[in-house]
Amino acid sequence: MSKLGAVVEAVEKHGQFVLDQVKRARTDENFSRQVTERWNKVKGEIPISRAPTGLPLPRLALPEIDEPGEIARYLFGEGLPGEFPYLNGAYREMYLEPLREIETGSYGNKKSPNGDSHNGVRARVSRAKTPERPTRPPLQEEPTRLFSGLMLAEDTNKRFHFLSAHQRSKRLSTAFDGPTLYGIDSDAEGVFGKIGEGGVAVDTVEDMVRLYDGFELGAPNFSASMTISGPAPIIMAMYIAAAKRRFGAKVVPNLRGTIQADIFKEVQAQNETIFPTEASLRFLCDMIEWTTANMPRWYPVSISGYHIGEAGSTPVQQAAYTLSNGFAYAEMLSARGVPVDQFAPRLSFFLDCGLDVEYIALSRVSRKIWAIGMRDVFGANARGQMFKLHTQTSGRSLIAAEFKNNLTRTAAELMLAYMNGTNSCHSNSADEPFTTPSEEWIRLAAHGQAILLEESGIFRHTMNMLSGSPGMKAVERAVEKAILDEFREIESLGGVLAAVENRYQRSQIQTAAHRYEQQIYDGTRPIVGLNRYRNGADGMPEIELVRTPRAKQKLQIERLKKFKKRNAGKSKCALDELGAVVDRGENCFPALLEAAEVCSLGQITGRLQEIVGRFRPMV
Amino acid sequence: MASPIRILTAVPICDGHDSAINTINLEFIRHGIEVVYLGFHRYVSDIVRAAIQEDVAAIGISSYNGGHIDFFADVVSQLKKKGANDIAVFGGGGGTITHGDARQMKCKGVDEIFFAGTSLTEMAEYVKKHYGKKKKRRMKSIPELVLARKLTELEEAAGKKAKHRTSNIEHSTSKVIGFTGPGGAGKTTLIDELVLRFLQRDSKARIAILSHDPSVIGEGALLGDRATMINSQDDRVFMRSMATRGQAGGLSPATESCLALLARSGFAHVIIETVGTGQEALPFRNKLVDQTVLVMNPDYGARLQLQKIVMLDVADVVVVNKTDLERAKAALSEIEQRLTQNKRKQEIVATVAKRHRDPGVDELFELIMKEST
Repeated sequence: MSKLGAVVEAVEKHGQFVLDQVKRARTDENFSRQVTERWNKVKGEIPISRAPTGLPLPRLALPEIDEPGEIARYLFGEGLPGEFPYLNGAYREMYLEPLREIETGSYGNKKSPNGDSHNGVRARVSRAKTPERPTRPPLQEEPTRLFSGLMLAEDTNKRFHFLSAHQRSKRLSTAFDGPTLYGIDSDAEGVFGKIGEGGVAVDTVEDMVRLYDGFELGAPNFSASMTISGPAPIIMAMYIAAAKRRFGAKVVPNLRGTIQADIFKEVQAQNETIFPTEASLRFLCDMIEWTTANMPRWYPVSISGYHIGEAGSTPVQQAAYTLSNGFAYAEMLSARGVPVDQFAPRLSFFLDCGLDVEYIALSRVSRKIWAIGMRDVFGANARGQMFKLHTQTSGRSLIAAEFKNNLTRTAAELMLAYMNGTNSCHSNSADEPFTTPSEEWIRLAAHGQAILLEESGIFRHTMNMLSGSPGMKAVERAVEKAILDEFREIESLGGVLAAVENRYQRSQIQTAAHRYEQQIYDGTRPIVGLNRYRNGADGMPEIELVRTPRAKQKLQIERLKKFKKRNAGKSKCALDELGAVVDRGENCFPALLEAAEVCSLGQITGRLQEIVGRFRPMV
Repeated sequence: MASPIRILTAVPICDGHDSAINTINLEFIRHGIEVVYLGFHRYVSDIVRAAIQEDVAAIGISSYNGGHIDFFADVVSQLKKKGANDIAVFGGGGGTITHGDARQMKCKGVDEIFFAGTSLTEMAEYVKKHYGKKKKRRMKSIPELVLARKLTELEEAAGKKAKHRTSNIEHSTSKVIGFTGPGGAGKTTLIDELVLRFLQRDSKARIAILSHDPSVIGEGALLGDRATMINSQDDRVFMRSMATRGQAGGLSPATESCLALLARSGFAHVIIETVGTGQEALPFRNKLVDQTVLVMNPDYGARLQLQKIVMLDVADVVVVNKTDLERAKAALSEIEQRLTQNKRKQEIVATVAKRHRDPGVDELFELIMKEST
């Protein structure tokens, strides 16, 4: 049995444990008193918040129960926000607006008035930079993190500076171009035209230096996010090499950020992988082992369901594959002997949120299953049990026909994402079916979040405002059961890796995607403006697109050639050393760090492929 | 009945967006079209080579990662350079290809760009309307083009049950190796790994692959073997994908004549791959091949099942692939025992074809090379 089977058992056992506590609370007088006392204490300590109209409300809403069995069911089965199994939230106050001094009770968090509880993580909202910032109390770190990447490193750098100019904290998010995502150099034959398209071109450590030029990489208010998976360990090594060049080796432990690096979802859905699966996983674990030991503030993998969802999976498949991928990484790292409390707190998640009914509770259930699995199967501490979640609204749900309707779709998805207590969220632009977001629509998308969290009273006065309705509970139960059924299926195929190699997840996703398209075409899946209430032509707006000029593409190639020539001797030695380490089966990340100083991305990819082979595409 | 339209579909280099093309492929097949699917992250040169070898009427490219103007134009110009400008190019990219882009692309020789919101049926109807014309014999004498077109003629003739200069297999100048076995045993991966070794061993020789996939009853076929191949995307490999077009047993009505043609066209080796076969299948009759390789995986079920697999009696080499699976050891010894009943010289090889530099595949390669004449 793989650990996934053990997770299924643990979740079932937890269900039984909750039932036992319910029974105990009803039969054991002592326990009954304890439970009731705790409940009354919690209730008694809830501070009052006041709506702008003056209406007083509790900062935490709890079910109206006084029977000890039901209290036990709630406390053990769902947990208060910030308590195991975290169904109602990973943190205690999430998006609540700061408590005014006068109303502070002991339940509220006095030290950190922005809803940030024990460990420094708070809800993050992607918001476009606007000159007229809403008057909220200053946050220690702004939630904005804008995805950006275009043309060459210096162009993206300029954009980074533009976007973060008025921010105290610099939170950059990097998109790479196609050749970089596939570990290919810009001077490789056949990629001209793709250089700097859809993201920034990075071939060498020098590009990496240019990319983040002017930013203090080791500063506590800086963090970098890099959306890349196939060659992630090489890019990570280049980032570290660039940081060392600029700030010396002492900067390494202070580096903060995230690299996506999720190989499983690439093989299952997104197809941006370059080495055979097992070799990719080995390089990934090499990197995680090294970074969690040497860069304690870095998130070395973002376990992503977003691309699984976008490739057409059902919501349940998305959650089931993402969670099982996460457990598989945990199993591999444990098997290597990496201590669970070293790696578990550094795992984070990224989910899609669409309009299907499952999204009413999908992330809540995911948080619960992750917590139980990590605690009971992997022995993780509280920080390692928390499912740290970034959500993005569904790009796939947006359509070109009458595209302004996409504002409403995204708004509904945002509502679902926040009802599920996501830790951060990105809202898509309505114009995304045509283009990289234009300024006008990205502003509206970001303001959508501010309207929901700041203007509206839905999330800022009371935790649990919309939790636990009978409908939500029904969805929770159905979704949990369906996720566990998926786990059992994967387990019966020999675990995550074996299922991946049998293309189980791929084939399930493709079947679901095909059904989705069919449903749109036969009308059983209503899409307004497409198969319902069609209003005729509402064509694409004429938009000016960002394309990389040929001269820039040529410049990138010239630079790369010069770099290769200058480092010809050193790169050969570094590649030989890297090859030897990989052949010996050792952790190759230190050798990658050396190679990244003098070799290009394509040179390193090429050498590694000689040794471990290339990825064989799956259909 | 007219022969089915054959088209090739692919996703460009540095692009892994295959969701749309997967759905479109299925729709094309439903409309009776045979689709050679090349897969995602493919170079222009790979697409052009495959289109010529497969002699398709058109290439459909699904691009979502930018750079489409250059990429499509490059496909058109490389087709022209190779004398294959009768192969049309069309495609789409949801909203990533704007109307302005499409205008430029059409100026550069692209037939049609489909925009977001186009129905699947519309696309299939377009293909049927524009690419169903009968092909003319090619005048240019570029050998690759001529060979590809002749194979098409043989395939069409077999469809009409017409006698078509059936060539004599005796005149073969190539060694012909037949691969068969159940679906999912890893035949295509194994062949691709052998191709890598062929290409490394000899720096000049060429290889041909004749690969089969089943036609869906009353519909077209998805010819998808190329999509999972990495080493066979090479100018020294000539590959042709054939649909069974209603014939049972793992091959197509035109296999014999096509194979005969390939076997006297200067290839050192011709590899033929059947569709996934059942226990009773005996696809290679009448000395169709010089050497037969049966590829199995360890989960064939109970030992008794082995008695029913007829190919085990006649295969020259039995490959047990995926021997990294748990049941491999038992399977190997059961199959070995089964072969001893036959009292003839049969080789058994254990492989893990998905593994890079697998020693089992090396061993199989030597077995095939040793018996070459």
